[in-house]
Amino acid sequence: MELYLAALGICAAAAVLAAVVTRRVRVVVSSILGALGCLLAGGVALRILITGSTSTFHTSQLLPMSGLSLTLDPLAALFILASAFVGVAACVYCVGYAHGAMASRTAMTLLFVFILTLLAVPAASSVVSFMFCWELMALSSMLLILTNQAHSSDARAAALWYGVMTQFGAASILLGLLLASLGTDQTFSAIGAHSSQLSPTLRSFAFVLVLLGFASKAGAVPLHVWLPKAHPEAPSPVSALMSSSMVAIGVYGMIRVGEDLLHGGTVWWWVSVAALGVVSAFYGALHATTSTDLKRLLAYSTIDIQGLILIGVGAAGVLNDSGQPVVAHLAMMAVLLLMVAHAGFKGALFLGAGAIEHATGTRNLDRLGGLIHTMPVTAFVVGVSACSIMAVPTLSGFSSEWLLLQGLLHGFADSSTPALIVMLLGVIALALTGGLTAVAFVKVFGIGFLGQPRSSGAADAREVSTSMKVAMGWLVVPSVVIGVVPGAFVALLNRASSSALATPVVSPIDKGTGLVLSQLSGAIEPAALFVGLVVVLIVVWAANQRLAQRRSRRVDAWACGRELQTPRMQYTATSFAEPLQRVFADVLRPQNDVEVTHVAESRYYEQSLLYENRVVDVIEMRGYRPLITAALRVGRFSRRLQNGSIHRYLAFGFVALLVILVVLA
Amino acid sequence: MNSTYVAALELAAGAVLVSAVMTLWRRSVRSIVSMLSLQGMALSAVAIVLALHEHERALFVTGCLVFVVKGLVVPGLLRRVSRLDPRSRESRPLVNVPASLVFAAVLIVLSYVVSSRITSMSPSEASHLVPIGVATVLVGYFMLVTRRRAVSKIVGLILVDNGIALVTFLLTSGVPLIVELGSSLDVLLVVVVLQFLMVSMRRHSDTDQLTEMKALRD
Repeated sequence: MELYLAALGICAAAAVLAAVVTRRVRVVVSSILGALGCLLAGGVALRILITGSTSTFHTSQLLPMSGLSLTLDPLAALFILASAFVGVAACVYCVGYAHGAMASRTAMTLLFVFILTLLAVPAASSVVSFMFCWELMALSSMLLILTNQAHSSDARAAALWYGVMTQFGAASILLGLLLASLGTDQTFSAIGAHSSQLSPTLRSFAFVLVLLGFASKAGAVPLHVWLPKAHPEAPSPVSALMSSSMVAIGVYGMIRVGEDLLHGGTVWWWVSVAALGVVSAFYGALHATTSTDLKRLLAYSTIDIQGLILIGVGAAGVLNDSGQPVVAHLAMMAVLLLMVAHAGFKGALFLGAGAIEHATGTRNLDRLGGLIHTMPVTAFVVGVSACSIMAVPTLSGFSSEWLLLQGLLHGFADSSTPALIVMLLGVIALALTGGLTAVAFVKVFGIGFLGQPRSSGAADAREVSTSMKVAMGWLVVPSVVIGVVPGAFVALLNRASSSALATPVVSPIDKGTGLVLSQLSGAIEPAALFVGLVVVLIVVWAANQRLAQRRSRRVDAWACGRELQTPRMQYTATSFAEPLQRVFADVLRPQNDVEVTHVAESRYYEQSLLYENRVVDVIEMRGYRPLITAALRVGRFSRRLQNGSIHRYLAFGFVALLVILVVLA
Repeated sequence: MNSTYVAALELAAGAVLVSAVMTLWRRSVRSIVSMLSLQGMALSAVAIVLALHEHERALFVTGCLVFVVKGLVVPGLLRRVSRLDPRSRESRPLVNVPASLVFAAVLIVLSYVVSSRITSMSPSEASHLVPIGVATVLVGYFMLVTRRRAVSKIVGLILVDNGIALVTFLLTSGVPLIVELGSSLDVLLVVVVLQFLMVSMRRHSDTDQLTEMKALRD
């Protein structure tokens, strides 16, 4: 525990240092200090996961009411580990990335405060401590979105959206936790011990409130609207942290409160969590395929993965409530593995997107292309991470989604109706979004890195600095390691899932390098696959070398008989997604504008043609805009009451006094 | 003895209310301030009569204090302000004078209706007069709302304060001296601050009509 506090202290020191020293020192020294803090926190978390111990810290100082309480149990440790891992990368990345507004005193200080809170929220173990860390996390990330507000009005709008959503969520969580902690001293252990005495209605009400708050942080549809706005506008290390760690903490909250504090409650809680997950997965994946802004695409893909995670959490909850603890554990372990894997590959993808933006000045896929020649390391990182998110075997996305699928398939053993519905919809969502995600990331890599550059920015791109390459490379490690030897993490996952679900069981996954479910059925050995893949590649390469020696001939690529091949003849991100956009036109509601200018002499010849294609967020337009319009109308009406005349204000008071007198008399 | 006491008390309390209504009736700022001075003296008379009857020295001191502050100092300060513009009148109040008087009558009836509960809690000669205090508060508030000039608004505010003071005298034979001292000094301070404010307003916009302050919104 002391080491963990020391890690938090180092992050705090980095924040203070960033606030006082000069620009150059700030960018280098405080970043390194922050990375060290994260490393230490990650180490402590890993030790907790290995030993399975729990340690607590309590002081009545620092915070009002019951003071600050921190508890490190394996569940919290796993989330801290993921945040710390991404935190290290974000700090190292900043050394090379931070320039302009990101290198400013405010932004760097806030970055370390944000990292500090990401490490602290999972450990907070009383209502006041939790809400304090949670709000600090929300505020620091909201201000970080505003980093580039001087140049981008979108950033201001995004911060406003995020601020409103997160404050709504925080209020909802606070209410829920206060309801759940009625009659206790508000520490989590007391709530957990006391919650079975609460009436079922009260417990359900508390859970629904808490769920609303955590779902808005986790980016679950329809509370996701802030995410595709905030992630593109935040600086890349910040969006990496937000997308891989902060949204995961939303899921952590659901598991902690729903399973640990309220002991699973009733089946419909988890059915609604899974329903949120199904909708989010589908909606996120669909929008990811049609987005052309790289970071917006990544944000929607985060919604997609978060959806899958919620499906898993829901399935685990349903199964745990209906007496299938082994499968419930399997699903929970799958969820936790997917969360860790997502932290790795999504962090890498956001850092890669930042590198691309840094090098080319744009993140619009329609203006990129050919980057594999100029930015090979970034191409490698984004390529591997994209393969991982597409669930290509021997990478982490595959291992974790395979495990989730096993959890859902074995869940059919439970024949109750809610369980069947959840499992069936979960399997369908997993299959459908797998395909859509593949389209989205084939687009990212194919359009962004292959072909010819579509703009001068892309043509003049240079590979980024060493620190950024190191940071991105660091985040590729989990994709490969979890992918090849997922079995090595089974023990850690089992401890985390045992501290989440109240019914500890023998791990459903056997020890070993692969994933073998001997209690159920199903096994996979990615290490063997990996070795096989390497062998096949070597054989193919060797064969190719031998064949190439026989007759080697260099010619231009065949271009359908055309002599000329310009970048404009290539597929663009928009045209690549167009067929899919047609298929899902009812959900996506794309807006197409074609503007033709004819030459003056004849209507049969065109001078220019402008094609515009926009996909707006339907839920935002249909669900939120009317709310905003109504709020504005109320605001305008109340402005009419408030006309600046002092006589009127006094009259309000006078009338109120008279009314009170008459009512009381 | 007792009937003299009651008559004196009723006379003084009645004078408080009458002077409050008179401020609604008169237009020239000079005479409004005179009415305020009269009211301050009547209020101190209430306190002193009560003090003599109940043999309370503290209340007697309070009464003398009220005489000095509300009967002399505050009206004196306001008179100095009004001397800046000797012919200043409450020319166009938001509610005209006849309507104001009718409304004042309504407020007095209302205060008799609503105060019946307070009166019934501790029936005594003094507490029967509580509705007069409540009516003074309401009339003062009404003046605060409907008069345009800053001086008139200050007068309205002091009427409210006097009304509250009257109610406390009548119900509890006066709050402790220190509290009364505090609230009197508060009123004095408010008057001094507003006096400065009005002088600077006059310098800026050549009027003390508060309607002009609408432009300050946003």
